[in-house]
Amino acid sequence: MNSPRIVGGISRRRFIQYGSLAIGSSIVAACSNGGTETATTSAGSAVGVSSPSGDGIKVGVLYSTTGTIAIVEKSLQDATFLAVEQINEGKGPWSGKQGINGKKIDMVVVNPDSNWDLYNQMAKRLIDEDKVSCVLGCYTSASRKSVLPVFEEKDKLLYYPVYYEGNECSSNVFYTGAAPNQQITDSIPFCAKTFGKRGFFIGSDYIYPKESNRIAKAELVKAGGEVVGDEYAALGTTEFITIINKIKQAKPNFILSNLVGDSIPAFYKQLKDSGITSKDIPIMAYPTTEEEIQAMGPEFAEGHYTSFNYFQTVDTAENKAFVEQFKAKFGPDRVTNGVMEAAYFQTFFMAQAMEKSLKEGKELTTSNLREATRGQVFKAPQGTVKIDPENYHTFLYSRIGKWKADGQAEIVFSTEAAVKPIPWSQALYKGRTCVHSTPDKRGNPIVETKKDLPVELLKI
Amino acid sequence: MIVHTLASIVYLAQSSPSEGFSAIAFTNQLLNGLGIVGILLLTGLGLAITFGVMRIINLAHGEFIMLGAYTTFVLQSVFKMDLLLTIPFSFLFTALIGAIVERTIIRRLYGRPLETLLATWGLSIVIQGVVKLIFTAQLKYVRAPSYIRGNWTLFQAGDQVVQISIYRLFIIFMALLLLALTGYLLYRTALGREVRAVTQNRDMAKCLGVNTNLVDMATFAYGCGLAGIAGTVISSLKSVAPPMGQDYLVDAWMTVVTGGVDKLIGVLAGAFLIGQSNAAIAYFLNDPTARVIVLAAVIVLIRYRPEGLFTIQKRS
Repeated sequence: MNSPRIVGGISRRRFIQYGSLAIGSSIVAACSNGGTETATTSAGSAVGVSSPSGDGIKVGVLYSTTGTIAIVEKSLQDATFLAVEQINEGKGPWSGKQGINGKKIDMVVVNPDSNWDLYNQMAKRLIDEDKVSCVLGCYTSASRKSVLPVFEEKDKLLYYPVYYEGNECSSNVFYTGAAPNQQITDSIPFCAKTFGKRGFFIGSDYIYPKESNRIAKAELVKAGGEVVGDEYAALGTTEFITIINKIKQAKPNFILSNLVGDSIPAFYKQLKDSGITSKDIPIMAYPTTEEEIQAMGPEFAEGHYTSFNYFQTVDTAENKAFVEQFKAKFGPDRVTNGVMEAAYFQTFFMAQAMEKSLKEGKELTTSNLREATRGQVFKAPQGTVKIDPENYHTFLYSRIGKWKADGQAEIVFSTEAAVKPIPWSQALYKGRTCVHSTPDKRGNPIVETKKDLPVELLKI
Repeated sequence: MIVHTLASIVYLAQSSPSEGFSAIAFTNQLLNGLGIVGILLLTGLGLAITFGVMRIINLAHGEFIMLGAYTTFVLQSVFKMDLLLTIPFSFLFTALIGAIVERTIIRRLYGRPLETLLATWGLSIVIQGVVKLIFTAQLKYVRAPSYIRGNWTLFQAGDQVVQISIYRLFIIFMALLLLALTGYLLYRTALGREVRAVTQNRDMAKCLGVNTNLVDMATFAYGCGLAGIAGTVISSLKSVAPPMGQDYLVDAWMTVVTGGVDKLIGVLAGAFLIGQSNAAIAYFLNDPTARVIVLAAVIVLIRYRPEGLFTIQKRS
C-alpha cells in the first residue's frame, strides 16, 4: 500500500466532497420515491398532501417506496392515491359527490423504507404527531406485526389490504385481503382434482410463506393428497437450481409456490430453462400476480396458475372502469392486481364509513369509525364485497386464474358470490373463528365452535 | 446472523433425510453446482480486478452488474436486440461509467481503503436511486436468445436423466473466456505489465514513465465493464430490478476473498469451492442452511488465512 498523504482531521475540501455526495444521494433517494405527481417524502419525514382549505380529514398512508419491498408497496400506494383522488374530486365510484361531506381527504404520506422497526415508529408518529383519524397501509406480515401493538395501545384503526396467513383478529385492523379460506381452501382441492395428489411446496423463508404452506399442506392431506416436498429459499434469492433438482427428483403432480418478490421471475424462468413446462408440472401460486407475470415475461408463466380474489380480467363494469382509470393515471403499460385492488377498495370502505359517521353528526373517533366501517358494502372491481361485522375481515371472491400468453389470466374457477372470511384455517384449527361481540370490546375474540364451519356466501 | 444460525439449527433438526440417496440426482446436483460456479466466477471476476489488482474496496460492484442488466433491457426493448449482441454495449457503457467514477471519486482516495469503502457505498445508493428514478422500481423482463435454451443430456437410463442447462453452460463458457482474456491482458501484454507495475510500486512506475493516471482509469473501467457483462448474461435467468446488485455483492466478495486476491486463478478456485460446496450442502439440507454454513466456513477461513487460499508468499 502506498499512502503518501497523512490522514488527519477532515480538510475543508474533503468535507465539501463528502457533503455533496451525501446530499446528492439523499436528493436522489427522495426524488426516486415520487413517481407520481403527489409530493411523497424520503425516509423519516412526513408531508401533508392536497389540503387547500386545511380542514380536511387526515389519513395516514404507510407504504415503503424505498428498499426491498418498495416494488410492491409502491403500486399499493399508487392504487390508494387513485382512490383518494377520486374521492376528493368526485370521480369514478365517488361520482356525484365531492369529498366526504364536502371535506377532502388529507393524506399524510410516510415512507418506512422497508424497515420493520421504522413501520412501528412511523405509525406512532402518524397517530401522535400528525393526529390522523386512521391509517391505510402495510404489506408484509412482518410490518403488520410491527405496527399492531401501536394501533392496539393507542386504539386507532389500520386498513390492511393484503392476503395473509390468518391467525389474527384484532379489533384495530380491518383486513381487506384474503383470509386463508378465501385463497387456500378452494385452490388445494382444485389442484388435487385437476393435477393429481402429489404436491411440492416451496416458499420464501419468512413468516407468511411458511404459515401459508403449513395451512396448504394440511388442506392437501385433508383432500387425500400427499406432500412430496417442502423447500424454502432465502428472501430475495434468485438461485433455484437446487430446489428445481429436488423437484425433478420428487416428481410431483403440481408445485405450490409461496415465493415472493424478486424470487418469482427467477424461479419461473429457471424452471422452464431446466426443461419442466407447465404441462409437465403446473405451478399453483398465491403471491404471483399480473405484476410479476409481466416482469418475468408471460411465456414463462403460460399455463401456470394463481389463486386470488381478483384478476385484471374479471368481467365487471367496475373493473373495466378501475383498469381504465388506473392506466390513465399511471401509464398504459401498467397492470392492476389483487393487492392493488384491495388497497383501492379499502379506501372507499374508509370513505363510506367516514361519510356515514359525519352524516349522523358524529365525530371521527376510532369507535365511531369502527362502528361505521363494519358491515360496509362496496361494489369493488372484483364484485360486491363487504366487511364482516363480526371479525373485521372482508367477504371476498375466491378465484383461480390460468395464465395466458398475453400475461393475463383466464379465470377457470370462481365462487358465485363473495365468501365469508374465516381467519383461522379449518384444516388446522377445526371450528375456530373470531367474533368481536361488541365493536369496542377489547377482550379475546376467539370462538371455538368445535364444528366444521360451513361455507357462507354473501347475500345482498 | 445469530437469528439465521438458530433458524438453521431448527432446520437441521426438522429436515429428515429424503427418500435415500440417489446417485443420479446427486450427479445432477453437482452439474447444477457448476451452474452456480459460473455465476460466481462471472460476478467475481470484475471484483478480482478492482479489488484484487487495484485494492479498491468497491461496494458499488453490484450496481455495475445492475447497470449491465439495464443496458441489455434498454437495448432489447428499444432496438429489439439479441442478448448476445448487447454484451459489447453493456461492457462499454459500464466501463464508461466506471471511468467517470474513477476520475471523480476513486482517484482522490487511493491508499485510503476505509474512505473508498464509504464513498463507493454512497455511490451504490446513488446509482440505485438514479436507476429507480428513470425506470421505476418495477421488475424488468429480459429475453434470452432461443438458441441457448433447453438442456443437454449427458446420460439417460430409463426415466433417470443426467442433464445440464445449456444457458448455464453458456454462462460458464463466458466466465472462463473472460477469465482467460483477463489473464492474457494482465500477464501477456504491455498494458498488463504496466498495470502490475503500478499496483506494485506506483512511484517507481511513474518514474519509469508509466502514465499511472491512465492505467488506473483503464483498469478500473475494465473491472466495471466485466461486471456489466455479468449483468447482461445473468439478466435473462434472474430478476432485473434496482436492488438486484446487492444479491451478487456478498457472493462476489466471498469468492474473491476465499480464492485469494493476488492471483487471478484464485477467483476460479474460490468460485468452484463456494459454488460446489453450496450445491452439495443444499442437496442434503436446504438452500438457506447451505448459505449459512458456507458463509460461516468463509469467515473461519479468513480468520486463519486472511490472504485467501491462493497467494504468493511475500517478504514485505
